Amino acid sequence: MRPATLAELRDAVRDTDGPLLVCGAGTAAGWAGTPSPDAARIETTGLAGITTYNPDDMTVAVRAGTPLAWLQAELASHGQRIALDAARVPAGGTVGGLVATADSGPLRHSHGGPRDLVIGVTVVLADGTVARSGGHVIKNVAGYDLGKLFCGSFGTLGVLAEVVLRVHPLPPATRTVALPCDAVEALDAVGRVLAARLEPVALEWCDGSLLARYEGGPSSVERRASATLLHSAGTVLDPTEEAEAWRRVSEVSDEPTVVRCGTRPDQFPYVAKHATRVTSSVAVGVHTVAVAGAAEVERLRAEFEHVTLCRRPPGSDLPAWGRPHASVPLMRAVKQQFDPAGRLGVGRFAPWF
Amino acid sequence: MALTDLRDKLVADLGRDGVIDDPAHLRTYECDALTGYRVVPALVVLPRDADDVATAVRACAEHGVPFVARGAGTGLSGGALPTADGVVISLQRLRRIIEVDPANRRAVVQPGVTNLDISKAAAAYGLYYAPDPSSQQVCTIGGNVAENSGGAHCLKYGFTANHVLAVDVVLPDGTQTRLGGDAPHQAGFDLLGAFVGSEGTLGVVTAVVVRLLHTPATVRTLAADFDSTETAGAAVTAVIAAGIVPAAIEMMDNLAIEAVNEAVDAGFDPDTAAVLIIELDGPADEVEERFAEVTAVCTAATRVTIARDAEQRARFWRGRKAAFAAVGRLSPNYFVQDGVVPRTRLGEALARIAAMADEAGLRVANVFHAGDGNLHPLVLYSEAAGEHERAEALSSGIAELCVELGGSLSGEHGIGTDKACSMPRMFSTDDLETMQRLRAAFDPAGLCNPGKIFPTPRLCGERPGPYRPHPLESAGVIERL
Repeated sequence: MRPATLAELRDAVRDTDGPLLVCGAGTAAGWAGTPSPDAARIETTGLAGITTYNPDDMTVAVRAGTPLAWLQAELASHGQRIALDAARVPAGGTVGGLVATADSGPLRHSHGGPRDLVIGVTVVLADGTVARSGGHVIKNVAGYDLGKLFCGSFGTLGVLAEVVLRVHPLPPATRTVALPCDAVEALDAVGRVLAARLEPVALEWCDGSLLARYEGGPSSVERRASATLLHSAGTVLDPTEEAEAWRRVSEVSDEPTVVRCGTRPDQFPYVAKHATRVTSSVAVGVHTVAVAGAAEVERLRAEFEHVTLCRRPPGSDLPAWGRPHASVPLMRAVKQQFDPAGRLGVGRFAPWF
Repeated sequence: MALTDLRDKLVADLGRDGVIDDPAHLRTYECDALTGYRVVPALVVLPRDADDVATAVRACAEHGVPFVARGAGTGLSGGALPTADGVVISLQRLRRIIEVDPANRRAVVQPGVTNLDISKAAAAYGLYYAPDPSSQQVCTIGGNVAENSGGAHCLKYGFTANHVLAVDVVLPDGTQTRLGGDAPHQAGFDLLGAFVGSEGTLGVVTAVVVRLLHTPATVRTLAADFDSTETAGAAVTAVIAAGIVPAAIEMMDNLAIEAVNEAVDAGFDPDTAAVLIIELDGPADEVEERFAEVTAVCTAATRVTIARDAEQRARFWRGRKAAFAAVGRLSPNYFVQDGVVPRTRLGEALARIAAMADEAGLRVANVFHAGDGNLHPLVLYSEAAGEHERAEALSSGIAELCVELGGSLSGEHGIGTDKACSMPRMFSTDDLETMQRLRAAFDPAGLCNPGKIFPTPRLCGERPGPYRPHPLESAGVIERL
């Protein structure tokens, strides 16, 4: 099924019997648990395009199946962007898919993830109920924030039909500084960059370098890049090197077995030790980790509660989730309320529910 | 009977000095800062730690008695209003800063710690806690979590929800759990995000892990005078449209200026129609570049005063943050309203508010977060002159105007008791029932801060205000089925 309107989506969800699997562009089809093969597929890619965009309000509403890359191009003609740079965006990842997987990229250092950018949602629940929360203004505390609840829900609570996002201005210029260091040294390097109060928008350790990216006015980014080198050894990258460095960061997500892991920042060296390759927003403690196999995943899970499986080789029986963390019982209770018949995303959170 | 049993149980578990049941003392808890709503609770408990909180909540659950958590009582929407047959759980004894961790740039604090005390504790490391509600000297972090509090600087820095990594909570059945984690990556639904801003209806916070930021290297602040609120509003739009994200853009109209000048000698021009306080912060080079752009955009201003030092900047902010209280000098009574409009409709909103005020024969002072479109109209009136009902109607009308203009009933003060009956103006029955599913997952018995956020027949009469289509819906831009 590939509904093209909210009404068609509602009807498809309500009038189809049995389990349903929500699919966007399929760029994260391998994330989390393996979905039940019996489920009927609801593809959201027919729900595409902008519904409201007033650049001066810095908000945009889109249908959930809209590819973020397409949206970014539209916004760019107004000098704006969504401050979300998850690795799979160029491959066609949809706004709804990025929210449902709570995916993010190096910009999480300064802008957070989908939870920090979504200001309103329209969802269709398993029983066909259409509900909105939030709205079209950035500052808004009226009612519960279901947009945040749906972040990381992997299509198990309802189908995202429309998402309202806050937008940010495109920076006039960017500059990246590469500071060669190992994972242990990275902690100190991060401390020095932050203490210099130069406000990098991204601070990402990957392939033996800490990358600090500055955005802003052309002379300001130049001077901030140089100022970084006053206290740390490194180089200011030219535009080609800069693009290459950030390409390597997103490449980590394409390794055969990848998890996303949240830890205290100072636990990064432990994470790196178990990785074949890693890219880490060190200062916030969010790491995208390529590992050799199940043993390494197990070791990470022994230490950390929040480890999400992002990629595994075809046929792998690597478990999608580790031991249940403290709020898994609440997740089950929420699931029971939103989808009492258990129709949506069967298998995504196995063995938790 | 349940209450007598419950009191005995709580006295046994928390000690005699942990339970208040004498009527005179109970009255201290009858309202929060929205003093128009008052209900004396049956009991108040004063837990000392998370286990005490869990004990109290579990006892309430077992006795079927409703309860509400309370911090400093500075809330402006009646969110901490007790129920007459219920218990207030005061978190004033949980005021310990458990840990400041400069290496990981975070702090772990108990819910009764004030917002400003977190920044004070972090200052030794060059760090601070970014959200800064005007009441930050008194309001507690637990209350900030409940309300998803904002503040003047959330234009750049975001709200409480963006700065909390985890919370320890006592769920409404008395079990203790943690939402969130060590980093902003959660395996599973973002229950933390749903919890922050739930106005105390999903559980009681017993510890909060907050992010700390390095204090900005440079801060530049200006005050720009305008000959009308409309031209000031247009300047706000121009700044944002230029791709600048200031730390704050605040507006005060003439009436608000008059009040703060008298109250704190803020030094604003008493004859100007509106003043914008625009603050940029960040790395020195970036701030200088952008500050020049801001001053260039403010061409319509009749005067621009650039704060020459920290003292003058502090004076601007003293004036701004004292505004609500200062308005008490102009009028014996006033209502503080809190609504949001899309920023591009600020001018229109202010003009319509002025017209509504004229029609009601009342004065409205405006002091607000202009960069976010977050209005705080202060409706001035006199109880003695019998203006209460007219003022209340005007104030509600302003909040509903915000919804009509495509905005929100509340930007930071919450729905609480105050606006529960207006919620159907913004949300359909299906929207509200879907939110109630979340409530039911956390609090199936409905004992945790009942009567807040959602309209009830008892509160709103049998027929709450009718649902009216959202303007975007009327325009065919969004659909609802």
